[in-house]
Amino acid sequence: MKESLMDVVCCPLDKADLDLDVDDRDDEEILAGTLTCTECGEAYPIEDGIPNLLPPDMREEAA
Amino acid sequence: MTEDDPDAGLAERRGVDEAVVYQPAEDSGLLAEAAVAEAHGRVLEVGTGSGWVAQRVAEERGLDVVGSDLNPHAARQARERGVEGVVADLLSPFRADAFDTVCFNPPYLPTDPDNEWDDWMEHALSGGESGRELIEPFLDDVGRVLAPGGVVLLLVSSLTGYDEVLDLVEDAGFDHEVVVEESFPFETLTVLRLERRA
Repeated sequence: MKESLMDVVCCPLDKADLDLDVDDRDDEEILAGTLTCTECGEAYPIEDGIPNLLPPDMREEAA
Repeated sequence: MTEDDPDAGLAERRGVDEAVVYQPAEDSGLLAEAAVAEAHGRVLEVGTGSGWVAQRVAEERGLDVVGSDLNPHAARQARERGVEGVVADLLSPFRADAFDTVCFNPPYLPTDPDNEWDDWMEHALSGGESGRELIEPFLDDVGRVLAPGGVVLLLVSSLTGYDEVLDLVEDAGFDHEVVVEESFPFETLTVLRLERRA
């Protein structure tokens, strides 16, 4: 994901801002990391450049 | 669904993705035509599937396009097309006023609950018993993510109930106009352009 995606995403549960932690990136994009809700603390993974922003109960089902 | 083997080759993974992701069809072509003509600003395609519509808008209009889908295989295909892929449930992880254009080709086939397949392709096709099970929550929430002056491009099939969808559009506080319409042997497809009622 590009860092500019941070301008349009929020926590799916409470719509609060997300904090970005980067584990791996290239020149253009974040390839791996975590988005964490600043309000409820729920963590959303970024894998292979794709953030998974499903609510946790749906994330389990869709794994 | 089985777990994806992280070591699987790209070709193999692509084969799996294509088997479980809705590929472009007549409805996609019609939505792309409307979206290329009408999109402006920052664009979100909900239920992007293969990412084909989103890619056309990005390339032909030079706009930034985000493609979201419930299906992680779909988000991956969209990403391979150069679209910003996000795994999401409809509009839930998007901020208020974030997008100038939101496109949606919803899963719309009315499905008998005793006859559901419960796999990714069903998620891509089935609109539940009414055919409108995803259109309703989409219309309830899309006004939140639309920036002032924003537009929604919604594909509607006659199989879903055109008049019933127009009632939902009305209830959600939008005015509509028809952008394109085409008849096929079993259905008529229409792309509506929705704007907040003045």
